[in-house]
Amino acid sequence: MTEKALTKKNRFMEWIDERYPWTEFMRKHLTEYYAPKNFNFWYYFGSFSLLVFVMQILTGIWLVMEYIPTSDGAFASVQHIMREVRFGWLLRFMHTTGASAFFVVVYLHMYRGLIYGSYQRPRELVWLIGMVIYFALLIEAFTGYVLPWGQMSFWGAAVITSFAGAIPYLGNVLLVWLRGDFNVSGVTLHRFFSLHVIAIPFFLAILIFVHLVALHKVGSNNPDGIDIKAKKNQEGIPLDGIPFHPYYTVKDLVGVVVFLFVFSLVVFFTPKMGGYFLEHDNFILANPMVTPLEISPVWYMTPFYAMLRAIPNKLFGLMTMAAGIAIMFVLPWLDRSRVRSIRYKGPLSKIAILIFVISFIGLGYLGSEPVSPLYTFIARVLTVTYFGFFLLMPIYTSYEKTKKLPERVTE
Amino acid sequence: MRRYRNILLIVFLVLFSSELFAAESAHPGLVLAKAPIDRSDMESIKRGATFFATNCMSCHTLIYLRYNKLAQDAGITYEKMPINVKTWPYGITPPDLSLETEVRGVDWIYTYLHSFYQDPSRPTGANNLLVPNSAMPAILAPYQGAQVLAQQVSPHGVFFDNVEWYDLLTLQKQGSMTPEEFDASVTDLVNFLAYAAEPYHNDQTRLGWWVLGFLVIMFVLMYLLKQEYWKDIKKK
Repeated sequence: MTEKALTKKNRFMEWIDERYPWTEFMRKHLTEYYAPKNFNFWYYFGSFSLLVFVMQILTGIWLVMEYIPTSDGAFASVQHIMREVRFGWLLRFMHTTGASAFFVVVYLHMYRGLIYGSYQRPRELVWLIGMVIYFALLIEAFTGYVLPWGQMSFWGAAVITSFAGAIPYLGNVLLVWLRGDFNVSGVTLHRFFSLHVIAIPFFLAILIFVHLVALHKVGSNNPDGIDIKAKKNQEGIPLDGIPFHPYYTVKDLVGVVVFLFVFSLVVFFTPKMGGYFLEHDNFILANPMVTPLEISPVWYMTPFYAMLRAIPNKLFGLMTMAAGIAIMFVLPWLDRSRVRSIRYKGPLSKIAILIFVISFIGLGYLGSEPVSPLYTFIARVLTVTYFGFFLLMPIYTSYEKTKKLPERVTE
Repeated sequence: MRRYRNILLIVFLVLFSSELFAAESAHPGLVLAKAPIDRSDMESIKRGATFFATNCMSCHTLIYLRYNKLAQDAGITYEKMPINVKTWPYGITPPDLSLETEVRGVDWIYTYLHSFYQDPSRPTGANNLLVPNSAMPAILAPYQGAQVLAQQVSPHGVFFDNVEWYDLLTLQKQGSMTPEEFDASVTDLVNFLAYAAEPYHNDQTRLGWWVLGFLVIMFVLMYLLKQEYWKDIKKK
């Protein structure tokens, strides 16, 4: 919006603004929210995450209209959606592909934060809230995966809820409380449905809002990791800042079209992704009497599943898996570097990030493969390097020599 | 893919085999033959549906393929399927096939239906390469003819000892179809089963191209819009 349009507000907007801070809100968060002008490729994934969230909510609303959350009706109702509901297949494939896409974009969004130090002071809360979102998303994905009530839904639910049973003393009580039955059953399905469509999405919407509020309080980081608010012009506008709207809204629109192109390739041409997005066994109705030979979670959970399997003791394995997620929460307090961005950190940090990426992807691959002695050994090594990245961070980030930060953001 | 093949095989064995614990896995090195189906070939799907109605429907259901004109045209009568048997031989109910190609893939079914052979030690008089000791009789043998295990097998893989089903079996006596006719019929049948599993498939692909085309146009427009706005930023 131009200044002219803002000063010549029409009477309708005046009426609104006296009663609701519409214009004030739009300025604060869009037209006068100054974002660094040097955002690169990695900065698309936050917007993409929001897009996928909205897409999941919308397709979800329509799926719930036809889905039946009972052990008798669930599997058949999914086939009903796929076959008899007009464009039902599209809604369902958008939703299932959306689940995987959500994790793809969220993982890349988190990686961006990791390499550019977006978790460092003063953005610790932005990172922490983001981690809570990620955790909620894992539960959302898990409860959603149970709903089609195929073999993998059933046995995945059985395996994952059984984790609660490994907790000493409380385990069995907790297990029955979680499942609502002595085994995974229609009762479990029904409560997971409730959590998946109401509780967690509601919680997620609030968390995403809080994530953005926290971000807009401190302002966006950038690939150089320097504070753009340090250099302002006479009007108090950061020299390297540009209004989020229209500059980043139009830029993100280009990104969104590219994202939707890739997303459509999957939805229309390979929605099952060769068994990675929708597992073959999940096309068989849940059968408590027949255990599939290999029960592996969907790809986005496999890094942690590999950690669990790498440890011989179940309780310790669970603790390792939980620690694998928990340690990401404390990241802001592990990094002692004087600079934020990987661009100005020393070689040790760069090697560490590389090792982390190899560990995470490696564990993800191993978690989706059947157990073998060699794979278990590699999984153990990668579990150690995964934790090494975090636990040694206070040491290598405080001792390494960092490069000199630029005065202004670089192109 | 290997992983899934093995899992599926075991699930299949558990579902099918009366001799669960005696069950072996498929012939080592046996690779799946490629099913040459064309999913947009509606005539082939209809022929396959007719073939299914004639040969498979007495035992196998297709419960999710409902209210479907194609199925009705092809003579699939749901109230009559499967045949009314109080107890299935060997205590194994033939599985519903509406999602079979999703679970096992078209190549698996194509290979499975090709690889029955005579085995007097089995109660059905037949055995199968892909699912040893399968409870299913060689229902297509009248068309394909009688096959027996080959005496000499020479694996021909580059890195592994790969064998095709036809390396392991010899056609002793041709049935009512020539091998080419039989291949074509099984192709039609598999094509129909693929249709039964994903009746939306052709709509999906067709719509997909339109969506991609639309997005390409949108990309050009959005890119030009972005360039227009960002002109002033570059100047600064």
